[in-house]
Amino acid sequence: MSVPLQNVTHACFGLSYLLAFGLELARLRWPRPAFRFAGLAFGAAGLVAHTLYLVVHHPTPATPYGALLAVAWVLAVFYLYGTLHHTRQAWAVFVLPLVLGLLALAFVSPATPDAAPTWLAGNRFWGAVHGVLLILAAVGVSVGFLASVMYLIQANRLRAKAPPLGGVRMLSLERLEAMNRRAVNWAFPFLTLGLVLGVLFLGQYHDLAGNWLSLKVVGTAGLWLVFLVLLYLRYAAHVPGRRLALLTVAAFGLMVVVLAAPHPFAQGAGP
Amino acid sequence: MNLRSVGCNFRTATVGLREKLAFDAARLERAVSELAARFGCEAVVLGTCNRVELYVARGVGERPFDAGLAAEFLGEAHGLPAEVILPHLDEHADADAVRHLCRVAASLDSLIVGEGQIAGQVRQAFELARKLGTTGPLLNTLVPHALRTAKRVRTETGISQGHVSVSSVAVDYVRQVFDHFGDKTVLVIGAGKMGRLTLKHLRELRPGRILVTNRSPQKAVEVAADCGGKPVPWEQLDDALVQADIVLSTTGAPEPVVPRKRFEERVLPRRSGTLVVLDIAVPRDFDPAVHDGDRVCVFNIDDLTRVREQTLSERRRHVAPAEAIVEAEVRRFAEDWSRRKSGPVIGQLHAEASKLRTEVLTPLLAKLNGKLSPEEKKAVEYAFQLYQNKLLHGPIAALQEASRQGEGPTLMEAIKRFWGLG
Repeated sequence: MSVPLQNVTHACFGLSYLLAFGLELARLRWPRPAFRFAGLAFGAAGLVAHTLYLVVHHPTPATPYGALLAVAWVLAVFYLYGTLHHTRQAWAVFVLPLVLGLLALAFVSPATPDAAPTWLAGNRFWGAVHGVLLILAAVGVSVGFLASVMYLIQANRLRAKAPPLGGVRMLSLERLEAMNRRAVNWAFPFLTLGLVLGVLFLGQYHDLAGNWLSLKVVGTAGLWLVFLVLLYLRYAAHVPGRRLALLTVAAFGLMVVVLAAPHPFAQGAGP
Repeated sequence: MNLRSVGCNFRTATVGLREKLAFDAARLERAVSELAARFGCEAVVLGTCNRVELYVARGVGERPFDAGLAAEFLGEAHGLPAEVILPHLDEHADADAVRHLCRVAASLDSLIVGEGQIAGQVRQAFELARKLGTTGPLLNTLVPHALRTAKRVRTETGISQGHVSVSSVAVDYVRQVFDHFGDKTVLVIGAGKMGRLTLKHLRELRPGRILVTNRSPQKAVEVAADCGGKPVPWEQLDDALVQADIVLSTTGAPEPVVPRKRFEERVLPRRSGTLVVLDIAVPRDFDPAVHDGDRVCVFNIDDLTRVREQTLSERRRHVAPAEAIVEAEVRRFAEDWSRRKSGPVIGQLHAEASKLRTEVLTPLLAKLNGKLSPEEKKAVEYAFQLYQNKLLHGPIAALQEASRQGEGPTLMEAIKRFWGLG
């Protein structure tokens, strides 16, 4: 029996991820292998449905809707990989809420289907490069955010001298710090290149000068500056991990605002 | 079933007596073989630092292996009078012995409930007995069943979670901070006995470098030689703290060795990364106020002992569910065993009844040949089969129930004689 791919909806993957999350929470309370396998099965099913949805509907990342769906998809892959790789850690409990949060934001965002043809003033190739670079940067920021949240929780547990093997199993501070560092190092070049391409496009179309002050452009530039500060604090000032983690969380907040903001060219301003 | 477990443990005997009754590897082999040969029984001997127990299964109807025989046997093996041993022996019979072995393997009868070694020790004792050929149908079924029970208890309850030695808890904390240790430096301050034990655990993490410092340079050299570390002059303590990732402090100094001001002024500004301080000295060597859970994590003896107590208390919470699992498994074993024992008799009973049915039915059908339609013939055959089943239902149910109650052999014998079974 074949299922028409057009029938794959938001509910298919959203509910699958939600169920997987519920099962992971249940596993924390009752550590039975059945919960782990059922959670993995629902997570995998959600990822398949999510992939099919993106393939069939191919929403453009130029819209908040498309960008959020794409970032959520990469993080869902990250969730599944991490859950299989870190069997003892409550990986899904941290990653799935982020995936679900991004999806929820995507579902309430306008899809603006007419954005695609005008995306980056009709220069589809460089427009796609610009979009992919920024999506990759967003993935890095999201991973850095997850590592930072886990770092802050782990550091708080250590500060409170909580029993080391009690409660939710977490990665060590060292591993989380390394994950955060790699994520930021990964995201920064993509963010820089994506931003440079965007600036070049904006500069090319003088009639779009008003868009220099759009939330997306200003937010992305702000994000780049936050990253610059983050790198300086890490490599030059050697500030403690907790402060870096807090700054990464702030960078993620800014990134969500940027992703959810409408694209300058998607507002019909392009040629 | 004619099963007994007889032995002494930390509750019934002093450590002095347990030491005298302990078997080393060579004597254990001899003892197991001799026990089985002398009493013509299945035998497994479990010897740990907290218990010496003999698990003995004999044929139904034979004299059970009781505490008196066990005291005699242990006395001869160790050159002690039986009457000295006898008052310290604990005896369990049949289902109670099954329960005892399951509880022992599941670490419910251990000095530290939930400790992880006992199941492995039960397995080793069983494997030795199997190798020596002293196990038979009962112990070959029972011991693996007890080990499966132990696994269920371990995986389905939290009874084995956490560590309960101060040194292990210290290492658990270190693992919460660091992931790999090949590039880490451990600094040992002082040379206390407790510190040596914790250092032994830390060395298992294979740190890249160990530095040792002590007010007495001679002691520092000694400890460094013991652990493959490098002695550092006491005057260079601040520099060593800057280089260290993990500090194990165990001096007997009456005042803090590293007061807060000294640490914050001379050490903290010069270092990056997290420093874990395991301060197991009393009085404490480090000011606990420097602990922030990020740059510096200080765990002192009170912290480590508190976690140990929490873990023990948490484990105690899981005792009741674990006991419920053991009870269920004891019932299951009794049912499986009784089914296994009564199975052949039930089979013979069915065969005999079927033979009698055929002997009556075949001439009857021959006599009625041609007068019955195929449907009627089938109905007659079915009626005879039904009659046989109803006739056997009572004896079989009674036999199964009697086996469960441990009265199977008597009824089995009666049924065999009543039906003329071979």
